[in-house]
Amino acid sequence: MSAILECRALTKKFGSVTALNNIDLTLERGKIVGLLGPNGSGKTTLIKLINGLLVPTAGNLYISGMPPGAETKKIVSYLPERTYLPDWLKVSQAIDFFKDFYEDFDVNKAYDMLKRLNLDPNKRLKTLSKGTKEKIQLILVMSRNADLYCLDEPIGGVDPAARDYILNTIITNYNDNATVIISTHLIADIENILDEAIFIKEGSLYLHSTVDDIREKEGKSIDSLFREVFKC
Amino acid sequence: MLKKLIKHEIYATGRILLPLYGITIILSFVNRIMIGINKFNNTPLNIISTITMFFYVFAIIATIITTFILIVFRFYKNLMTDEGYLMFTLPVKPFQLINSKLISAIFWIIISVVVTITSLLILLLNAERVTIIRDIWAYVYKMLKNNFGDNYVYLFLEMILITFISIIQQILLIYVSIAAGHLFSGHKILGSFASYIAINTAAQLVSLLVLLAMASFTGSSFEKLEKLPHAILIIAIVLCSIYSILYYLATNYILSKKLNLE
Repeated sequence: MSAILECRALTKKFGSVTALNNIDLTLERGKIVGLLGPNGSGKTTLIKLINGLLVPTAGNLYISGMPPGAETKKIVSYLPERTYLPDWLKVSQAIDFFKDFYEDFDVNKAYDMLKRLNLDPNKRLKTLSKGTKEKIQLILVMSRNADLYCLDEPIGGVDPAARDYILNTIITNYNDNATVIISTHLIADIENILDEAIFIKEGSLYLHSTVDDIREKEGKSIDSLFREVFKC
Repeated sequence: MLKKLIKHEIYATGRILLPLYGITIILSFVNRIMIGINKFNNTPLNIISTITMFFYVFAIIATIITTFILIVFRFYKNLMTDEGYLMFTLPVKPFQLINSKLISAIFWIIISVVVTITSLLILLLNAERVTIIRDIWAYVYKMLKNNFGDNYVYLFLEMILITFISIIQQILLIYVSIAAGHLFSGHKILGSFASYIAINTAAQLVSLLVLLAMASFTGSSFEKLEKLPHAILIIAIVLCSIYSILYYLATNYILSKKLNLE
């Protein structure tokens, strides 16, 4: 089976600004990958390219061997850092929407998680707090049986208790065939669940390695390495 | 997938439009009754009927304006703002998103016209007026037949066709303007308005030039004059169709290749 994500000389420019520069990157299946870098380093740009929300300026990328398009969107589950659900929807209607469009959506799983987090499916989204909306979106995204999950800042806005539950959900919900990309700068919180780490510095790939290798070679945690590499 | 997109689009717009249409229809019944009662000269009743009539007129205007605004707003809000993150990561092609919005827009325009006409009929129709409408219709029919012979059928069909196509063209012009506004780095809404004016002016200029060119080719003898409406309608249909196709393709290109959600 082909790699879940392959980027070849991937470049994205916005006018004269280079957001991503010549990225070569291959991700295998069955990994939890941390996409790490300071604000504005190009993390979100990479995730948007994977999801077909941007078109590369140069280079190519393939998801399970296919360029981004309707076919890859069937197998990629994406959590943007935005609240992207129409706020007049009820939680249950948002679930119906996902069920309608994504064949791999598991309704029971979604209602299970809602129950576990004490969320009422009959509430309208506009009545919920920002953190609660983020939880709902994460539940929707993780209730799909996708091949690739792209989570952009999934834990930034939620309380620590929910954070633990969410990370636990991520670990338990994905299968051997699936890869999870988590973009964040809250490294300490997610360090324990990561298999691999990608450092992006000013649009270029600075490092891609397994977490074990980093700990062995550098003799320090990802968090301390990050602080060293991106020292201001 | 297109069916599902249309279903959700109709639902998202219908939840606002259907209550409005319902109120319009109810108010036309209320006013019909008030007109009936008002034959007895009674001041308090007069005041009430003036108020209900005011609400009725307001509802009719609201029906038309809201339908129009919602068509514009849905395309912008659902595709160009944060909701775009959801819509553009569904397993569908961008042109299917455009189609679903366009089909739903045409659907609601037809419904809003039907609702407006129905409500006017409820309010005003009686035996006397039915006769008047029938007479007017007969007169129009006679005039058309006298002036254009048997060709009047084509003329009639062409008029329906041009109405339909120019509505589509207007909707697509709004879509392409919103999409073009999206290309501006800041002031995207202002950019959309500017694009609308620029594109519309350009299209009208082209239409004018085409008509002038056509006019200079054909002489103006009296026998040809009766064919003039037919010729103009055909030219208008062709031009409107070409504009519509160009707007559609440009919108699809921007949404597929130049998308850059904030």
